[in-house]
Amino acid sequence: MATIEGKREEVANGAALASFLAAGIGAFAVGFIVILNEAGLFAVPALYAPTGGVSGRTTLAVVIWLISWAVLHRRWKNRQIESRRVPFLSVILIGLGILLTFPPVWKLL
Amino acid sequence: MDTMLFTERSIWTMIHGIVLGGGALMALFAALLSLRAMRTANASDAVSQNQSSHMVWLTVFIAVVLWLTVLVGTYVTFPPYRAAPPEGLTDLSQYPRSLLQSNPGTVWLHGFAMETKEHVPWIAAMLATAVAFVGVRYRSRLLSDTQLNGMATTLLAICFVLVSVVALLGVFINKVAPLA
Repeated sequence: MATIEGKREEVANGAALASFLAAGIGAFAVGFIVILNEAGLFAVPALYAPTGGVSGRTTLAVVIWLISWAVLHRRWKNRQIESRRVPFLSVILIGLGILLTFPPVWKLL
Repeated sequence: MDTMLFTERSIWTMIHGIVLGGGALMALFAALLSLRAMRTANASDAVSQNQSSHMVWLTVFIAVVLWLTVLVGTYVTFPPYRAAPPEGLTDLSQYPRSLLQSNPGTVWLHGFAMETKEHVPWIAAMLATAVAFVGVRYRSRLLSDTQLNGMATTLLAICFVLVSVVALLGVFINKVAPLA
């Protein structure tokens, strides 16, 4: 519930949850792309040779993050979402993304 | 004889690590503290409006600084770090990655520390951007809405931990194999 000059105005929380979930998807994308690369299943080509493969991996993750954000925002921006599942899912995806970028994890492969 | 105090590479390293990374860490700490201390049930009064305005600017600042840190780190300081030395070169001081890998005691600084630094900061920048977006769109609700405040605090807390860890790893790397 936001208040502007004394007048109460409803602002749906959908856009906020879309941005949180998209951040989770982006974080997971970083980890997933790294683990695929380390497992030798999918290597994203380098976009900038002096930086090497990290330029391709991170750019692809950013593209996935932005596309998922745009899609979720478009669908949820006017919706009020009461469920706690979205914040929970966002945190889980972020945790998994961080875990998958952790070298000791992908060195287990 | 003129002696250069800092090379261009070391200046960029300082911009990346101290100015941008250090600035982001301080701003993250301030934002986390403010998100908890300035929480309010009623964000309609002038004081709360003013506080939320500062809070929004702080979240935007964090996102911008983190993206600059990530981009400078990846595209300015990382290339000279990973440059391959010419065949047969024995003095590897200008080639930090090769220098770290040449000593069994410092191999982990590349295999663990730098490999972590390559990817994790991108996650932190995405999380900070989400919080900044919510701040800009929802303004005072960032302080008054329990769910938004809690989620923003969680994301910035994760950011703070990630940035702290990669900053510490950066200090270790720069101590052993500086970009001089």
